[in-house]
Amino acid sequence: MEGDERGFRIAIVASELVNPEADGLDALAILGAAGWGVIQLPAAWYPDDVAAPLLEQVAEEVDEFARHGYDIVRVGDRAGLAEALARLGVDDPPAITPASGGELSAFLAARPAPPPR
Amino acid sequence: MARVAFVAHCLLNQNAKVDGGARCPGVYSPLVDVLRERGFEIEQMPCPELAFTGLNRFWAVREQLDTLAYRRHCDRIASAVAGAIEARVARGDEVVLVGLEGSPSMGVRITSSDPERGGRPEWPDGAPELTTGSGILIEALLAELARRGVPAPRAGGVTHVLPGHDAGVERAGLVAVLEG
Repeated sequence: MEGDERGFRIAIVASELVNPEADGLDALAILGAAGWGVIQLPAAWYPDDVAAPLLEQVAEEVDEFARHGYDIVRVGDRAGLAEALARLGVDDPPAITPASGGELSAFLAARPAPPPR
Repeated sequence: MARVAFVAHCLLNQNAKVDGGARCPGVYSPLVDVLRERGFEIEQMPCPELAFTGLNRFWAVREQLDTLAYRRHCDRIASAVAGAIEARVARGDEVVLVGLEGSPSMGVRITSSDPERGGRPEWPDGAPELTTGSGILIEALLAELARRGVPAPRAGGVTHVLPGHDAGVERAGLVAVLEG
């Protein structure tokens, strides 16, 4: 992948941690600074008929990254995600619901480095 | 009322890019910065190419993707995204779209086109495939919103894959879209 700067690391992230309240945990900033890509989950307030087709797309994307050996974690959760992953036979990745930015940073730092490509 | 930007998948996840296309490890922070400065929440759209043609796909122009099967795939994604936009609009949120200029799927004003391209991938760098127009998913999304009676959001695109990319020009273009 000459000239390609991808990090081979992806976090599936609860929408509320991508768009935090003013005093909330800003997972997007932490993940971005640490070189992780983000797959955002549908907002928690979306009704099931809105969230379900979006979760289906998330599951298909996760399947493709998992198939290629990318490191995948989950930060926070969303109702319906586990079922969407299970329908495709995709394992729920290692996960954290962080109470602080420091906790999230430590979790990410403890992940194995992606293999050289 | 919230301000919400629906953004192309790869702008939060450069791992979804075609091989050779990732401009940073993960999150394209210049976009996140300008959205947050102006009080926009972020909603990430699915990547149509990632799920359909996979991580090992070749660079492609519109004509290579413009099949009935790919359009059906894009229609499925467009329906999912339009549902979210419709829910946002129903509660009074202000919605904008941020695509990726030059993309055969996510371009807003610039896409890529070459009717002759195909076969063994030996085309030279710099081939003039960029052209005015929208990508296939953006077209499908705008059509789906129209079908639902949802007004078309203001839309623009990140330009970091275009030749001669200028970060200041990109930012000014995004601000113009965000502020209407």
